[in-house]
Amino acid sequence: MNELLKELYQEIILDHGNEPRNFGVCETHNKSAHGHNPLCGDKVSLTLFVDDDDIIKDIKFSGEGCAISVASASLMTEKLKGKKLSYAENMFKDFTDLVKGSEDSLSTIDEDDSLYALKGVKDFPMRVKCATLAWHTFKNALKE
Amino acid sequence: MNKDKIIRKDIRNDFPILSKKILKTKDLVYFDTAASAQKPQVVIDELNQFYKSHYSNVSRGVHTLSVESTLRYEDARKKVQSFINAKSENEIIFTKSATESINLVAQTFYDKYMSTGDEIILSLMEHHSNLIPWYFLRDKYGVVIKFANITESGEIDVNHFESLITPKTKIAALTHLSNVYGSKIDEKVSSICKRNNVAILLDGCQSAAHLKIDVQKLECDFFVFSGHKTYGPSGIGVLYGKENLLNEMPPYQGGGGMIGEVTTDKVSYAELPAKYEAGTPPIAEAHGLGIAIDYMNNIGIENIFNHEEELTKYAYEKISELDFVKIYGDANNRNSIISFNIENIHSHEVSSFLDVEGIAVRAGHHCCQPLMKHLGVNSTSRLSFGVYNTIEEVDIFINALIKCKEFFIK
Ligand SMILES: Cc1ncc(COP(=O)(O)O)c(C=O)c1O
Repeated sequence: MNELLKELYQEIILDHGNEPRNFGVCETHNKSAHGHNPLCGDKVSLTLFVDDDDIIKDIKFSGEGCAISVASASLMTEKLKGKKLSYAENMFKDFTDLVKGSEDSLSTIDEDDSLYALKGVKDFPMRVKCATLAWHTFKNALKE
Repeated sequence: MNKDKIIRKDIRNDFPILSKKILKTKDLVYFDTAASAQKPQVVIDELNQFYKSHYSNVSRGVHTLSVESTLRYEDARKKVQSFINAKSENEIIFTKSATESINLVAQTFYDKYMSTGDEIILSLMEHHSNLIPWYFLRDKYGVVIKFANITESGEIDVNHFESLITPKTKIAALTHLSNVYGSKIDEKVSSICKRNNVAILLDGCQSAAHLKIDVQKLECDFFVFSGHKTYGPSGIGVLYGKENLLNEMPPYQGGGGMIGEVTTDKVSYAELPAKYEAGTPPIAEAHGLGIAIDYMNNIGIENIFNHEEELTKYAYEKISELDFVKIYGDANNRNSIISFNIENIHSHEVSSFLDVEGIAVRAGHHCCQPLMKHLGVNSTSRLSFGVYNTIEEVDIFINALIKCKEFFIK
């Protein structure tokens, strides 16, 4: 089997793609956003509960999309839960760098990180948008 | 199976891009002609030659180059005219794309023949290019848009279509050949329109390179297509319109070339076709389209049709044998296009997987979101054929599809 495909579809991606974690809507939430990739029709809706100390106490997503976009959303929610917003924004930047192929100056994601599994996307430029859809939606939710 | 008997085997040599290796090792299998066709060497060479030896602006000067350019530009118009069997050259307007052609018709047809409350009929399987220009009219002027249903087999429900017509219906804009199903429109639709005095625009983007087009037999008032899907350059589109309509409708854009006389307080307009061609047109692109038409005529549109029909039938049969694949639409009314999904695998995965095997197919909503909604899916994969495709390529595709399923569903 082709190496690039193996890189792209690591076990953890297929797993999260098939059985996404934190799928649904947060019972109480104070931030939310919808994301949409007009090129392919993939959709994601995100809800968060952020407390007074700017900590993400709860985060859930729903929507439909390809394995990459669903797995990315699922992994993102796992990673962001419990993080401070300022740290989460740095993760956003690091993650978008990672999937575009620049992994030199990452401060919040390292090689052992589950998010690292999405690095294979860099060899499929048309799929970068799939991987970053949830993250851009997160960014928009914070703007509220 | 008698392989590739209709089209000469060395036809692939006409298309330099087909010798490209994907990821340095895989032969390219190009199954995305519906998105855009590849270009034969003659078209590439002629574009080059045009810029090298004949190029200038058209219809604007008297010097030699202007004459040479204008001759070629107008020659291309004649070629389009006979390609679709229009009565007159005046009925052929060059635009930048089919999309622009539809926008032109929507705006100017409204201006002349419609007012608030009048009705337009579209179908659920129209391309966004044949939806949004009409939505503009709904938003700006309050016209009413009605949608004809699509049957299970991927065709316009003719009875439903007819039932939508009222005295307020002024125009129907429908795809001649669906870019998702590959189905051709039922000829009854044009006669129904004619009987009810409703104008009809056919979107020929997916038919022009595959079927013999005769706008008079089709009984359409407008017919549009894009050069890039007919082996020609991008940046050139065609609008065919009946001469009396084009004469009555107002111009679309204002600019150089479309005027009769201009003073500080008024303007009169040029005769057809210049009236609708404001500004410097896509000159080399029109010439390139003319060469592409020559190319198709040399092979013979009927031969292209038969070849693609054989490929489509073969591919349909082979895919049908795979129980994990769902094909959209029917076997019988299908030309050069097959849309499908593999159960539980998103079209993006299919497309990325096939890409690594060297196979180019389209994944997504195909600019048909209302149709996707109707089908209850988010996206589909689509293979589409051109004159250069072969039975062997279909076999490569089928094997890759099986491998794809095994990769994702363990
Ligand atoms: C049925 C149909 N209509 C319209 C279009 C729009 O063509 P263009 O983008 O060349 O204007 C396409 C192209 O995808 C099409 O398939």
